[in-house]
Amino acid sequence: MNLKTLTIRHTRLISLCWSRYAVRSGSGLVYLLIALIFGLTVAHVLITPVEQLIAEQKRATGKMDPPLVREAISEIGQPVIQWVLGQKTLKEIMENAAERQRAMMNDPNNASLAENRRYDGSGFDTWVNFLIEKRPALLSAIFLVLLFGMPFVVSFLAYNQISGDNQSRGLRYLLLRTERSNIYFGRFIGTVIFSTAVMAVIVATITFYLGMKTRIYPAPALAGWAVCGFLALSILMVPYIAVCSLISVSVDSPFLSLVLAKLTIAGVLFMAILGSYAWKPAKYLMYALPWGWQCNLLHPEPAHWLGAVVACLAYAAVFLMLGYYRFERRDL
Amino acid sequence: MDEGKRPGGLTALAVINFVIAGVGFLGILGMIALFAFVGEIPTEGMDETQKAQMEAFQDMGLPVFIVVFGLEAVSSLLLLVSGIGYLKQKKIMGWAIGNAYAVVAIISSVVSAFMFAAELGGGFNIGTMINLIYPLVTLILLNTTFKDDLTN
Repeated sequence: MNLKTLTIRHTRLISLCWSRYAVRSGSGLVYLLIALIFGLTVAHVLITPVEQLIAEQKRATGKMDPPLVREAISEIGQPVIQWVLGQKTLKEIMENAAERQRAMMNDPNNASLAENRRYDGSGFDTWVNFLIEKRPALLSAIFLVLLFGMPFVVSFLAYNQISGDNQSRGLRYLLLRTERSNIYFGRFIGTVIFSTAVMAVIVATITFYLGMKTRIYPAPALAGWAVCGFLALSILMVPYIAVCSLISVSVDSPFLSLVLAKLTIAGVLFMAILGSYAWKPAKYLMYALPWGWQCNLLHPEPAHWLGAVVACLAYAAVFLMLGYYRFERRDL
Repeated sequence: MDEGKRPGGLTALAVINFVIAGVGFLGILGMIALFAFVGEIPTEGMDETQKAQMEAFQDMGLPVFIVVFGLEAVSSLLLLVSGIGYLKQKKIMGWAIGNAYAVVAIISSVVSAFMFAAELGGGFNIGTMINLIYPLVTLILLNTTFKDDLTN
């Protein structure tokens, strides 16, 4: 590998052109639309029941009571977040819900939301407590779904970093002007810039809507948590884009590159989940990609979220270097 | 600019136009059928929300229905025509009709938000923003990124 040929000026120029070219080439346009629609649909699905709750409250009492709405959100969100974070299985959650139902039927006068938490078994976990009590719970839930879903979407943007030019043999004309390292890393950085910009638009839109329309959380809390969520999503995309870079330099067909990127990103997760039913250690397969770490990006402990950030960057570095090793040696 | 140099993004935009136009036409047919038979649908087995939606649909009235679905039909037609225009890189059929679609779709989304009852998804909500994504992206791209590609 010859990283000495890397020049900041060339890489910067290529990355800026690439991020601008992304929409024109089609992959960026498709990613932009899918990511925006996916992000806002997730928000729509999670915010609509809360809006209905607020409307019902306004009909019944004539005004909205934000603390009561927040408590209802926490009550519904707690088991879901525990399941997403892998702290409880679906069976345990169902058993807790049934137990709570029984308790409410035996003692209906004692059915306030706060009281019901006693029947939860393990009580509030620090992480769950942080996500639903200390931070705007609705935004936390949206971020958790986006952390899970966005890696599937990002390959629509990143699949064609090199493969299209491999197929058309167009790179040899670019190589008259610059080196392979600048093209490879420039395009990777350009893709990251575009992905980050799209994440910013999605998070800003959702936060603005939550702040202006529902008004259940104070604006500074929303804004602060939105910045954290945006950073988590942006950093998470980096290793997945690096995986796509590796695949893109390895094949000559953009379509094959897209299919392989999809199969790799989704396959690792599903093989880990399905494989663990047959053989428990198969669950560690998900650590081949950041799937096993990524929720820690929203952890309250700096050791956890910093560890997740370092892990994401380490994954990205490994995939990038493997891709670059292949790119330096292949026939163009 | 000849057709051989059509950027991939413009082709993608055309394909998305055809898909959305197809879905739009199917939606219009479905809603016309629903409007025609709305009085005959039994509401006994429905929950409160579904009943409220059905009542809101019955109360909507023919003029509102005509305005909303007329706008929907026009925007679907414009999508179809502009999609062909993008593929042929035409100035009028692509750029002008594409812009016309974007404006009509934005008006249609705003009108739907104001004219539909809350039970039918009316009012400004995040769904309205989802409906606005594609027209806004079209409007921006046609007048910036693909401005010089639609010149035939």
